[in-house]
Amino acid sequence: MTKKIYTATELTDKTNAELRQICKSLNIPGMSKKRKDIIVSAILMRQGGESASTPKEEGIKTTSIAPNNPYVASVADDKDKVMAATFTLNSVMTKPNAKVGDKTTTTIRVSCGASFGEFPVVGKTIAGVKNFLKEVLNISTMSSPLVNGKQVEETHVIVEGDEVEFLKPAGQKG
Amino acid sequence: MKMTNNIKVIGLGGIGSIFIDKLSRYVSFGETSKTKFNITLVDGDHYENKNYERQEFIYLKNKAFSKMEDLNGKFNQDTISLAIDKYVNESNINTIINDGDTIFLCVDNHATRKLVSDYVKTLNNCILISGGNDYIDGNVQVYIRDDGKDITPSLTEYHSEIDNPTDEHPEDMSCEELSNSAPQLYFSNLTVATIMCWVLYSLQQGKFDVKKPEIYFDIELMSIIPKTRIVN
Repeated sequence: MTKKIYTATELTDKTNAELRQICKSLNIPGMSKKRKDIIVSAILMRQGGESASTPKEEGIKTTSIAPNNPYVASVADDKDKVMAATFTLNSVMTKPNAKVGDKTTTTIRVSCGASFGEFPVVGKTIAGVKNFLKEVLNISTMSSPLVNGKQVEETHVIVEGDEVEFLKPAGQKG
Repeated sequence: MKMTNNIKVIGLGGIGSIFIDKLSRYVSFGETSKTKFNITLVDGDHYENKNYERQEFIYLKNKAFSKMEDLNGKFNQDTISLAIDKYVNESNINTIINDGDTIFLCVDNHATRKLVSDYVKTLNNCILISGGNDYIDGNVQVYIRDDGKDITPSLTEYHSEIDNPTDEHPEDMSCEELSNSAPQLYFSNLTVATIMCWVLYSLQQGKFDVKKPEIYFDIELMSIIPKTRIVN
């Protein structure tokens, strides 16, 4: 049975509860507390991955894998070689309706201890991010900033692909 | 890097008393029972009834002796090889910790964490797994020395609060200070002990990720996260 392929517009029009139901049916874990735009991106990416593998399994040539999915590109006419190509993005797109070439926003994983989130902070300084997220992530004013595990100054500017951490003191008791 | 079979468990409070029960059962049955482990328990404290809500003991005596008697009776007679009824201090650390040991450090003060971490730095081969918690959160750090080099950062490298401890070694604390320690949640102790068990298993399997040797948890957030750490 063929699964329905949703377009970005169709997904955006759905409620969060409906989107989580779709995540469940597509076996996408960890979406119960995510924002709508992240859930939509996850579904679009999963559809791209699944539909790329389907023709290979069934031996069927295809002309379109996910026609309205901007994250998936297909090559279908070469009889002998490439069946399909899927491009997976490592960054989360915060504008799921964006067309290829549109300006998009990349989110960065920011954490403090065991609390974390994905935030659009590329181009911002560490000091700015610390101030912006101090209550969300419970960041102490004394926390040292780390980028990709290395200590940095608060004037450091975050770039795409960075992982930002505000160091939480070690647990003392036992 | 795989762990060795010479295991030292230092500190038998809320974390250590839970951890040693799980470790003893783990080494007593199944595949792991085919390997001979030398497990030493170290704690200068006595178990008292006031510890009852978080610590798992059956005898009112020195904690290391109490656990040894309990576990060697429950499992094999030589599950615990040795019990030392002393706190680790600058004078005795070289007689307690040896090159090639795997140490589970379950103490309740940064002064002892610094002492042990600094001593391990002088050894060629050693694995130090240290855990601590506050009320609902905490962390586990894994410091690995291999062939005289740091494979992961020491306990103090990222944590200035351990490098410059403001607390005191238990031998320097008054009875009042010892009895007025901050309240703790049993489940936080249990979580630290559980993460230490995970680390033990992954080290044994040779699958521990040395790039992420510090693990944080938060019970209210339902979250456990390993963190990237780099040796300077």
